[in-house]
Amino acid sequence: MKNDLKNMLVLICRIFLGFLFIYASLEKILQPEEFAKQVGYYKALPFGLENLLAIVLPWTELIVGICLLAGLFVDGAALLSIIMMLVFILAISQAMLRGIDITCGCFKVSADSEKLGLHTIIRDIIFLIMSFVVLNRQERKFEYLPKYN
Amino acid sequence: MLRVPLNQMLAIIIVSLAVGLFTNILRSDRIPILAQDLTQAENIDEVSGEPVAVTLAQAKSLFDNGVVFVDARDDEYFADGHIQNAWNSGFFMELMFKLDSLQSRDDGVVLYCSDDDCGSSEELANDLYNEGFTKLFVFEGGWLEWNESGYPVE
Repeated sequence: MKNDLKNMLVLICRIFLGFLFIYASLEKILQPEEFAKQVGYYKALPFGLENLLAIVLPWTELIVGICLLAGLFVDGAALLSIIMMLVFILAISQAMLRGIDITCGCFKVSADSEKLGLHTIIRDIIFLIMSFVVLNRQERKFEYLPKYN
Repeated sequence: MLRVPLNQMLAIIIVSLAVGLFTNILRSDRIPILAQDLTQAENIDEVSGEPVAVTLAQAKSLFDNGVVFVDARDDEYFADGHIQNAWNSGFFMELMFKLDSLQSRDDGVVLYCSDDDCGSSEELANDLYNEGFTKLFVFEGGWLEWNESGYPVE
């Protein structure tokens, strides 16, 4: 019974994070220029690398989301999810500490998207914990690639 | 013991790198691999279109001509001190309303934040540009450079 509950929790986290990453990736994939500018406002990357990040990161989010939902490479996807959340938390914290008053660019890239704040950090910490739950699971349920048995 | 599935992670990164770069080549709204800095304004009287960067001297001459300055920093920083007569950016819609009631969208607006290492003035400039404002100056030196030079503050 206890294991059933654990498996259920893992599955809920997986599905939630899966949809979350897919949702977060869509507008960024559709509007790369806006997203690149948004990354630039954080003033955290040298040499104009914000463009390369804006080209690649949305696809990483999309693929991680699909992997988590479809049960493919769940370990790798969960670890990447952890790394992304850590990077997001760092990026937001440094911007807030330096008093950079910008919008988040987390889900929406348009002018009316939400401002950075403590709530964006807390939200990412929750997603970080959920990613740990997935990576640290005991049993593999509904996972299809690679095959473990 | 946590798993460290490096090979799976690498596979996902390589696929997204490949898809991202490849689709960026194919699409019409592609972006350069590395971002360019804002163009520096050569003649501040002939600016029209995308936001441009201005130097301290150019910002001062805009200031002397009575161009509106908008402070893109947080309220608390604004309250601590700002360029004389500058507006607090506040809510975006409110700012647009204030600008529209005072001048046309082809008239100049100077945006600044703390120094050249803050992105909020550039964000505000791009947002205004997307709304049809065409004479946007980003003073990248910002509050720090202005204040150090001894120009009017309040």
